[in-house]
Amino acid sequence: MSTFYTAAELAKLGPDNIPESFSTARHLVYSSPATLAFNSPGAEGFGVKRAGLAIPGSVMLIVSPGCCGRNTSEISSIPQYRRRFFYYEIQEPELVTGQHLKRIPEAVEEVCRSLPEKPSVVMICATCVDALLGTDFDRVCRAAEARAGVKVRPCYMYALTREGKKPPMVQVRQSLYSLLEPGTRKAADVNLLGFFAPLDDDSELYAYLRGCGVRQIRELSRCADYDAFQQMACANFNLVLNPEARAAADDLYKQHKMPYIELSQLYRIDKIHSQYQALAGAIGGTIDDAEDYAAAKQAVEDFRARHGALRFAVGECLNANPFELSLALTEYGFTVREICATAQSGYYRWINRLAALSPETKIYCNQDPSMLFYEEGDPVDVTLGKDAAFYHPGTPNLAFNSDRQPFGYQAVRRLFRELEEVLA
Amino acid sequence: MRGLRKVLTPFAPDQSGAVSVLYSMGALTVVIDAGGCTGNICGFDEPRWHTARSAVFSAGLRDIDAILGRDDLLIRKLEWAVRAAQSRPETKDAFRFIALVGTPVPAVIGTDYEALARIAEKKTGLRCVPIAANGMKLYDSGAELAWTALFRKFAGAAEKSGTVGVIGYTPLDFDARTRAPFKAAFGECAVYGLDTGLDALQAAGGVRENVVIAPSGIAAAKFLKQKFGTPYRMLDPFAEKLLRPEMEQGQKKILIVHQAVTAATLEGLIQARNPAAQITKASWFMTPPECGSFVTLREEDDFTALVQRGGYDLIVADAVMRDLAPEFDGLWIDARHFAVSGRTE
Repeated sequence: MSTFYTAAELAKLGPDNIPESFSTARHLVYSSPATLAFNSPGAEGFGVKRAGLAIPGSVMLIVSPGCCGRNTSEISSIPQYRRRFFYYEIQEPELVTGQHLKRIPEAVEEVCRSLPEKPSVVMICATCVDALLGTDFDRVCRAAEARAGVKVRPCYMYALTREGKKPPMVQVRQSLYSLLEPGTRKAADVNLLGFFAPLDDDSELYAYLRGCGVRQIRELSRCADYDAFQQMACANFNLVLNPEARAAADDLYKQHKMPYIELSQLYRIDKIHSQYQALAGAIGGTIDDAEDYAAAKQAVEDFRARHGALRFAVGECLNANPFELSLALTEYGFTVREICATAQSGYYRWINRLAALSPETKIYCNQDPSMLFYEEGDPVDVTLGKDAAFYHPGTPNLAFNSDRQPFGYQAVRRLFRELEEVLA
Repeated sequence: MRGLRKVLTPFAPDQSGAVSVLYSMGALTVVIDAGGCTGNICGFDEPRWHTARSAVFSAGLRDIDAILGRDDLLIRKLEWAVRAAQSRPETKDAFRFIALVGTPVPAVIGTDYEALARIAEKKTGLRCVPIAANGMKLYDSGAELAWTALFRKFAGAAEKSGTVGVIGYTPLDFDARTRAPFKAAFGECAVYGLDTGLDALQAAGGVRENVVIAPSGIAAAKFLKQKFGTPYRMLDPFAEKLLRPEMEQGQKKILIVHQAVTAATLEGLIQARNPAAQITKASWFMTPPECGSFVTLREEDDFTALVQRGGYDLIVADAVMRDLAPEFDGLWIDARHFAVSGRTE
């Protein structure tokens, strides 16, 4: 029997009294395949290691005890990461004396020498031990740059700080975009910040932006080379599609006077419409989304007509906020029996509404120790997210966690199209 | 350059070796880390994790816990997890004991594992085994610490039986996931760490002999010999699979790179078939004197130089090392070693 709270219970407790079960700093963190993305962010999707190599032509030197780089062999087997990871293994005496820091410039130089072409950037990946030692990696990187004659930037795989103000996935974005050098601003250029893989090509966002007069839409993951990446400095403004990119956008505003607008990945069609209208207002254009709105609505209705009021279990390892997605599914007439996700105060706008519509929805925290004893209770017809699949192994599952990101009405259509395929 | 790796990815660390030993023992295992180490251990180094639930937890350390040395918080978390399980009839005996496994963060702040274990025992009523891994040593070191700690803590006297004790099993060294292939090799046996759980360990004093299949088990076998008089020998029952007809003819120069017991067993098998073979054994891991002489490998360059000067006809090693010997034109026999390459196929 695992600990859970119903949506009604959570709503009643309120954002200031979220139970300890949802605070990963207050209890032991259960390790199961459902928590892999939490415990080892690099193992699935984009963690610091993969994200740090987002700059074309870059390589990474992981400076750490051997244990921290161990699972990198899995990433290294992906063709585009072959020969891009290097390791400097810190030994005990070095950790005591801090000697490893003096050797990093030499290591960077040797890495560069071993490559057929000079890398565009060497990312130094630092880990928890240096977080504790308070190492000044900016200084270390400057010394490495001077010795190796190549750009060197730090990225911080500091799991210890994951609940701090600047968790690793926020800092790595800051580090990457700090490489942009001042460029000539172009009024019709915009950057999409937030993800390390492109949006799906058929997302309507591209067409809407072009309709508003934007000529160049740039994403880091679509930059073919370092020069193309540097063109991102020409943008008139940034669209932040993932809150983890907000700090990087703030930096770009401070350094390049580049303002930004935040958009969210949503699955409630009405809210998607509102968001696009707000965007149009902000950039002084118009967005006629009637056709896409209708198509998304039709996709939901067709699916509902074919499959009826399905019962869902929703996890958090997917390209959506699990609470917003659960609320969307509930509003569309489905039942969300359980959500396996970490409740946070910022999610209460969805939790409160969910409590009104589906008060009995059970909300579990994947990391709670009692999840070791999870037993399937109420049956569900389909699970969303890899973590939800772990708890319901015999039930059809849609992982919905591809690197490429769905967005807007297209995300809704894609979700129900892929659900259709899973249930076929 | 010392410490720099340009070809090989890091080998399985000590904390993975320790958790691997504990995985099937019924312990509440707490990896004292912020989460990343646990993710590496379970999500990568423990293939059983995807199919068999085990009570492995991360301590969920945060920077402020480490800076302030908040061991009391860790104890509270432990108590909470134990009490929560004990409060329900269906889970009250879920944890047979507690194991605390170290990582770099507690190593840096000088955590006193023995003291933590004593407090944990007092607070929870469960016995507690501390394992001072630090993430900077290799898997065999952590596994050795775990085997030794477990046998010292739990092994008891029992009436002698015909059973053979098999010490040193972890998936980091061996593909076998059932007892059958061990039974085929040794007859009735208890393969500690595979499927025997804590009960077999508690009856370890009753086995007629111990077979050590990996160097990490030697210290524990010595302890059992001292305490119960149980003899031990070293043998990898699967080394025979690495034999090839080419090894059995002529004065072949052969290099074997693996964990020491596998390498020594294979050496014996080759020599029995071809006394003229000239065999060199090398290892990245511990090389106990009982396994004969070894070339110790530390850096990538050590291996490259060994191959360059050795003039070998045949190399038995994980294929991941092949890029380190680009000029080698002899026969390479892929002796896959999960602890080295992380390859399962």
